[in-house]
Amino acid sequence: MAAWVKGGAADVDAAVEAAADLLAASRVPVLAGLSAEVSALRAAYRLAETLGASLDPVSGPGVYAELGALSAGGIMNTTRAETIGRADVILILGNRPWDGDLIAEIAAAAPSRGRAAGAERALLSLGGPQNGATRHVAYAAEAGGLAVSLGHLRAFAKGHLAGEAAYADLARRLFAAQYGVVVYDPEEVGELGVEMLQGLIRDLNESTRFFALTLADPFQGRAAVQLSAWTTGQAPRVGFGRHQPEHDPWRFDSARQIASGEADAALWLASLPAPRPAWLGSLPTVAIVGEGSPEAAGETADIVITVGVPGQSVGGALWNERRGVIAYAEPKAAAEAQTAAGVLARIRDRLIEKGVSC
Amino acid sequence: MSTLRLRGDLPERVDLLNITPLALSGLSEAEAGRLAIGTSRRGLTLGDVFEIRLDGSDSLVIEGGSSRLDRVGAALSQGSIRVEGDVGQRLGEGMAAGSLTVTGSAGPFAATGATGGTITVEGDAGDHAGGAVYAAKAGLDGATLVIKGAAGDHLGDRMRKGMILAGSAGAFAASRMIAGTIVVSGALGDHPGYGMRRGTLIAGSHGALLPTFVETGTPDLVFVRLLAQSLKRLGAAQAGLLGGTLRRYSGDLATLGKGELFVPA
Repeated sequence: MAAWVKGGAADVDAAVEAAADLLAASRVPVLAGLSAEVSALRAAYRLAETLGASLDPVSGPGVYAELGALSAGGIMNTTRAETIGRADVILILGNRPWDGDLIAEIAAAAPSRGRAAGAERALLSLGGPQNGATRHVAYAAEAGGLAVSLGHLRAFAKGHLAGEAAYADLARRLFAAQYGVVVYDPEEVGELGVEMLQGLIRDLNESTRFFALTLADPFQGRAAVQLSAWTTGQAPRVGFGRHQPEHDPWRFDSARQIASGEADAALWLASLPAPRPAWLGSLPTVAIVGEGSPEAAGETADIVITVGVPGQSVGGALWNERRGVIAYAEPKAAAEAQTAAGVLARIRDRLIEKGVSC
Repeated sequence: MSTLRLRGDLPERVDLLNITPLALSGLSEAEAGRLAIGTSRRGLTLGDVFEIRLDGSDSLVIEGGSSRLDRVGAALSQGSIRVEGDVGQRLGEGMAAGSLTVTGSAGPFAATGATGGTITVEGDAGDHAGGAVYAAKAGLDGATLVIKGAAGDHLGDRMRKGMILAGSAGAFAASRMIAGTIVVSGALGDHPGYGMRRGTLIAGSHGALLPTFVETGTPDLVFVRLLAQSLKRLGAAQAGLLGGTLRRYSGDLATLGKGELFVPA
């Protein structure tokens, strides 16, 4: 448990007071990062409501690549367990799905239930590594990237293009599936590509069963989407400057707000690891960061307060990618660490005492 | 002619939704000055930001611009607004009729959801001009958008109806276009027409073409001559593009494939 004010070690009470002063003086504050447990996210939304601030998770680009397609035409998704249990054809898009243990786990099993039970499992890849430990049939991406490749593939799937091209072969393999799944990272594919892919999945479902398994971002973005929805009725990039939650993914993009000089104070919340934003140090900032992280130092921001890391030194509800739900993570060791939610609530209490209210 | 003269630099983004000649016509200058336009908890009003002179007419001039002036002319249904300077996002959003002119440049999402009237940007327009905002069914939806300078990426994204004229455009012009006409006198960036369903895109040149657009010859179309006539009425530089032979590409074959891209042969 440590805190710094203007680079000097301070007690937490003094840091909370200084943070409240810094935020109270601002006109357009932003709460960014939001890589934290659900209770801290909830406290951040409450603080933003009091302060008239806007919020923007570090996972914003990936979150909105998926939400953009979802809001436009819906998406057909499945779960990791269903994929492993039922899928006979897996299409892996791009490089990111190969990073974790997911593909190896899928490759190690065969479909055991449903219409494809007992069949062999075929792994196909588009725009990913051409070789590796997991046997798969690799198709190269177009020079224009994954989104262009998906459009090209869909044209063959629809029968609008014909011939002996590689993508014609891939389209035939997809239609031959009994239960197919496409695995992808929305940020890597991009909003246009995700929408095109979901259109392809709808086309495939005219004659077979096909779904998407989208990878969650590693920074609690999915939890932020859910919490923001049940708290504000909106997706995460909301602002409370006008006494009610307004959703605007462009206006409340924190990097844009800060680069343009619109935002005049920031609170960076990262009780879990998150990439350090380039703008730290460019405007008055409060950083609430996990103890032991590289950012837990006086020079990170004007005011730095360390908090317990959920799932390590404190318990907390986190996005569980394996299960596809928010689930409680026990602390690994009993500790007396303060929580991010507690610190945010104390800052909010001090703001209310100062008469700040939106 | 009513005027709003900008007092100085804006300390925050302001939202001019409903600041139209019609909305101001029934108000005294003092009443208009109390209209809330700020977007922070400080509660900025129209009078804080502008010197206001109202005469009840159906034309409004905003003297002085800023990239923080959002939704200028949004929901305009009659009369005219002229901005002498720049504007921010969503210029003329949902506009139904009238005339909206910006002498400077516009931010992103200009003319999004606009169903009627004419919107003219004498400078450049940001990304998604005539394009759809998050979760919207359509971008430009019947209005005419004239951009004399350069448009950014995603010009006419999910556009459903109407016409866009521009000097040049960035990547992914006419992406997810549902219908309508876009004429760009200069160059397009890479991958025009991504996910385009129907509609017409005419340009002086283009960057990388999608593999899902196929050439369909150099037809002599009556439609092109009619379009040239209507562009002349708008006084647009784009009309010159239509005088020669045009090569036609059909796409996007990834979707419906009824869109078309024309470039000089």
